[in-house]
Amino acid sequence: MSLTQSIDYAAISPPLVVVVTAVAVLLADLFVSAEVRRRLLAPLALAGTLGALGATAWLATGPARSTFCLAGGGCSYVADGFATYFQTIVLAALVVVLLLSYPLFDERERVPPGQVPAAEFLALMLMSVSGMLVVAAGRDLLTLLIGLEVVSLPAFVLVGLRRGDPRGVEAALKFFVFSVVSTALTIYGIALVYGTTGSIELHHIAHALSTRHAHSGAMSATAAAGVVLVLVGFGFKIAAVPFHFWAPDTYQGAPVPVAAFLSVASKAAGFAGLIVLLVVGFRPYADVWGPAVGVLAAVSMTVGNLVALRQRNVVRLLAWSTVAHAGYLLMPLAVASSQLREGVRATLAYLGIYAAMNLGAFGCAVLVRRLHPRLAIEDLRGLVTRAPLTAVAFGLFLTALAGLPPGVAGLFAKVVVFRAAVHGHVTWLAVVAAVNTVIGLAYYLRVAALMFVPADDAPVAPSSRTWSVSAGVAIAAAVTVVLSVYPQPLLHLASTAAQR
Amino acid sequence: MHGYFGGYALVGLLGLVGVGFVAVGLGANRLLRPWRVTPEKLLTYESGVDPVGEDWSQSHVRYYVYAFLYVVFAVDAVFLFPWATVFALAGFGAISLGEMFVFLGFLAVGLVYAWKKGVLTWV
Repeated sequence: MSLTQSIDYAAISPPLVVVVTAVAVLLADLFVSAEVRRRLLAPLALAGTLGALGATAWLATGPARSTFCLAGGGCSYVADGFATYFQTIVLAALVVVLLLSYPLFDERERVPPGQVPAAEFLALMLMSVSGMLVVAAGRDLLTLLIGLEVVSLPAFVLVGLRRGDPRGVEAALKFFVFSVVSTALTIYGIALVYGTTGSIELHHIAHALSTRHAHSGAMSATAAAGVVLVLVGFGFKIAAVPFHFWAPDTYQGAPVPVAAFLSVASKAAGFAGLIVLLVVGFRPYADVWGPAVGVLAAVSMTVGNLVALRQRNVVRLLAWSTVAHAGYLLMPLAVASSQLREGVRATLAYLGIYAAMNLGAFGCAVLVRRLHPRLAIEDLRGLVTRAPLTAVAFGLFLTALAGLPPGVAGLFAKVVVFRAAVHGHVTWLAVVAAVNTVIGLAYYLRVAALMFVPADDAPVAPSSRTWSVSAGVAIAAAVTVVLSVYPQPLLHLASTAAQR
Repeated sequence: MHGYFGGYALVGLLGLVGVGFVAVGLGANRLLRPWRVTPEKLLTYESGVDPVGEDWSQSHVRYYVYAFLYVVFAVDAVFLFPWATVFALAGFGAISLGEMFVFLGFLAVGLVYAWKKGVLTWV
């Protein structure tokens, strides 16, 4: 009898392709001339990402595949509809982020504070994405934990990679310290859950927890503490209040494309892990984590929106807006009842739309930064005369984030999460979210309107070589427009992904 | 020495015995040994060479890279030991052998990276 595990390489092909591409980029950097390197590396990374995206699409059309299965039942890695949904979002986000970051390692780039080493940047980003792909498909505590660490470790370096930039180093350090603390809490929570259930496999945990929960006592309380600690750890990853302190400083100190990457791809991975844990593993303790998630959601959107009102920097404004959106994303999960499946579907749908509009907004910040390196909100005054297309696109994304026409996609997203919350009888949370949507209008519309105010200064000549950034923004804009007109395919995908 | 907390009493007792052992040993030494000091004898012993400078000194930053490389390979080498005990047993076979070389290949990429970036040359 063979004792080696048989591995279904088709199931793990998306992370496998991404990892091999990362190694290929690193090796190519070492062995080819500088001229070839400049032309080769970014397209190589992009090709690998598109390859992984193709593999994911192929997996999504077929039946669910599982691999790394245990003898006692249960598999560590399952490529089902849920996994491929998140993997598609992450990989599509990576395509856009790679396009946005192309000017970062162009030697001719003159926008301070300087460039980043291309091979390291690309390889680290691909490695981080491989971790996200594993989190989306991981179905036991250790696989999820290791996946999350693979997401985080390269991200610290990405934030501080820009040479001679003290702000970047400070941002990376803050990110590192907060993330390490959150990981420690997660591991402690996992240890408590493992100690009370005797398993790391999520279905076994759910079974053991339901018997634990039936008898109240020390063991039940210990398991509840473990569940809450794991929730806290994931709260850091998705930047939900009160675990959000790293986010604004880190986003502002990092290169803008890296901030976009963290706010979309990293957050999506955090939500993938969180949903799997809560819905599959910790389902019997829904009465414990449901209210906790509800409070996190309410506080996140309120604090995020209120602080965003006072921001003077575009990236900081977007950072606080992502904190508020973490609240909207958490809201349907607070349902925690028999309606939970609809809640998960709402979160998934919101995340897909959020990815497009938030990447677009950060992409516009990259474009604006070429005209105004400080990226103050006041710099946006009269942007429409200097860069009409950028202003129109930015306006679209900001109204979408606010949930207003012409960015109808954001409105659909809001409707979906509100409906899930009301159907799931957490009406109080829906009321809080409604108030917050109005607060959100104030700052999104202020910025959007500022761009269309006529300015008296002379038009600035737009700098050249932004085609890749423009292409990234165009992709995000196209997806946002399509989802505004015809959101049904995404909603359908989200419901299939939520079926489990 | 009964029950759960009785076990802690045993641990405390062991601690007392340990402290007593050290105290008696060093105290007897102090009472029995001769005590005739000179300034040379009170110098810090550094392999017979007279100590130079302060006790606080800086290490060159280049040692950090070596320490880092060492940690990478030493920690990863830990995975070789459990593998080495089983890979020749029945039921493992060539696949296990090949898998370990895939792992070593990934490690080798790290070494090649360090080498090509000039980390391994001492300047």
